[in-house]
Amino acid sequence: MAAESDARWVPVAISADIMDGTVIPARLPTGRIAVWRSVSGHIYANGDRCPHRGMRLSHGFVRGETLSCIYHGWRFGTDGACQKIPAHPAVAPPKTINCGALPVVEGNGVVWVATQRPSNEPSHIAGFEALRSLVITATPDAITHAFEGKTIVGATKVQLVGHDALLLMNILGPDEVFVIVLIETDLSVSDRLAVSAAVEGLRRAAETTEDAA
Amino acid sequence: MTAQAMRDAWYPVGLLSQLSFEGKDSLLLGQKITICGAETGAPRVESDGRNLPVVERFGHLWTTLGAPNKDLFTIPEADHPDRTRVDVGVVRVKCSPLRAVENFLDVAHFPFVHTDILGAESHPEVSEYKVEIRDDVDEVWATKVEFFQPQAAKSAGGGITTEYMYRVPAPTCSILYKTCPPRPDEWDVIALFVQPLTEDLCDVWPWMALFDDESAMTDLIHFQQLIFLQDRSILENQIPKRLPLDPAMETPTRADLTSIAYRRWLKRHNYTFGAQLVAE
Repeated sequence: MAAESDARWVPVAISADIMDGTVIPARLPTGRIAVWRSVSGHIYANGDRCPHRGMRLSHGFVRGETLSCIYHGWRFGTDGACQKIPAHPAVAPPKTINCGALPVVEGNGVVWVATQRPSNEPSHIAGFEALRSLVITATPDAITHAFEGKTIVGATKVQLVGHDALLLMNILGPDEVFVIVLIETDLSVSDRLAVSAAVEGLRRAAETTEDAA
Repeated sequence: MTAQAMRDAWYPVGLLSQLSFEGKDSLLLGQKITICGAETGAPRVESDGRNLPVVERFGHLWTTLGAPNKDLFTIPEADHPDRTRVDVGVVRVKCSPLRAVENFLDVAHFPFVHTDILGAESHPEVSEYKVEIRDDVDEVWATKVEFFQPQAAKSAGGGITTEYMYRVPAPTCSILYKTCPPRPDEWDVIALFVQPLTEDLCDVWPWMALFDDESAMTDLIHFQQLIFLQDRSILENQIPKRLPLDPAMETPTRADLTSIAYRRWLKRHNYTFGAQLVAE
């Protein structure tokens, strides 16, 4: 795979879904990752596999500025390096044991991850924030079509029950897309609920188009 | 043929106390089998139009798809008349049958997976123990395994340092001998018998032979089921699904010596159903 295509920010989660001291599973087109927020509120991402016995690190636990595997408690730091192997408290873990820390940033209430750090931060979209995420089992084209969207740089511009919104797409597979919906920051709760319901309907439309094709 | 080695081994396929007279369909190494209880005489296991060899032992019915060159192993310690023998039942797990056995051989996970029961986070250290492949009996053995346990058994009052011995006499079976709180001179016997359904699906039949006059049978079963359900949350979330036999795939430490010996023994015998030989 070309390094150039790896050096891009991919939207993987909504910031508000990852509270301080918690870890969640997420996906990149290249595979599964664990995204976690330290107790001090910083966001981190790494591979979702403990190098010891292959357990998914997204099932693990966060303490302070570290993520631990739930299987044997191996503790990893913010750089992905293993800091502690509880079965052998006197042994300093070899530097080679690493769960693969990934570049991660937050903006517009979205968590962005890259496999290689891009030269720029993800562009800030003034006046918008994340509303919700969903996985749509359809091609990006079918989604854009169902949402009557207009493709702009890095996003798809749509109108949802009379409100401007943006779709950020993380293409997981040929017909599987992780979508984050951005809305204007000043929307009321009832408007947000209406937009969310509209998204659900359009998801079904996009998935039906796919079935018919 | 590499697949033959595991076909020639014995596997548990049901509890003798719960066999169906009408016949029950199941799988063994991916092959369809039908298990029939009998009012008189021996139960039958049928596959592909033929009757398979059967053995009734440890409360379970055992069978094989091939031609084993030795009898099903025995557990002489379990025969003691004072022991309570516990048919725990079956737990279906979406994992490699070999991963299920390997997890059973591991003590380092106790503080994190069986927190405050079989281990405590304040006592995670695994001290040095002895592991060998005993060529005369062709079994993997780990001895002198010591671990601090807050509640080692239903019969244990409080925290104790428990001594363990592990034995692997068949590719998907393991027996654990552990300190028996009411009888310091004896060992409790806890076995894990795994029926390999496919390479990433198995039925696990835990079985115990304990010295415990106090606990009700239901409580003993519940205790073991609780432990195994905690293990299942791990086993169904390991990547890759199949047990890697390529040493480069995972990172063992000194605490994993039993697992390392088990993997080596599997490889030596071509016991590879449920294993991944090269990194993918």
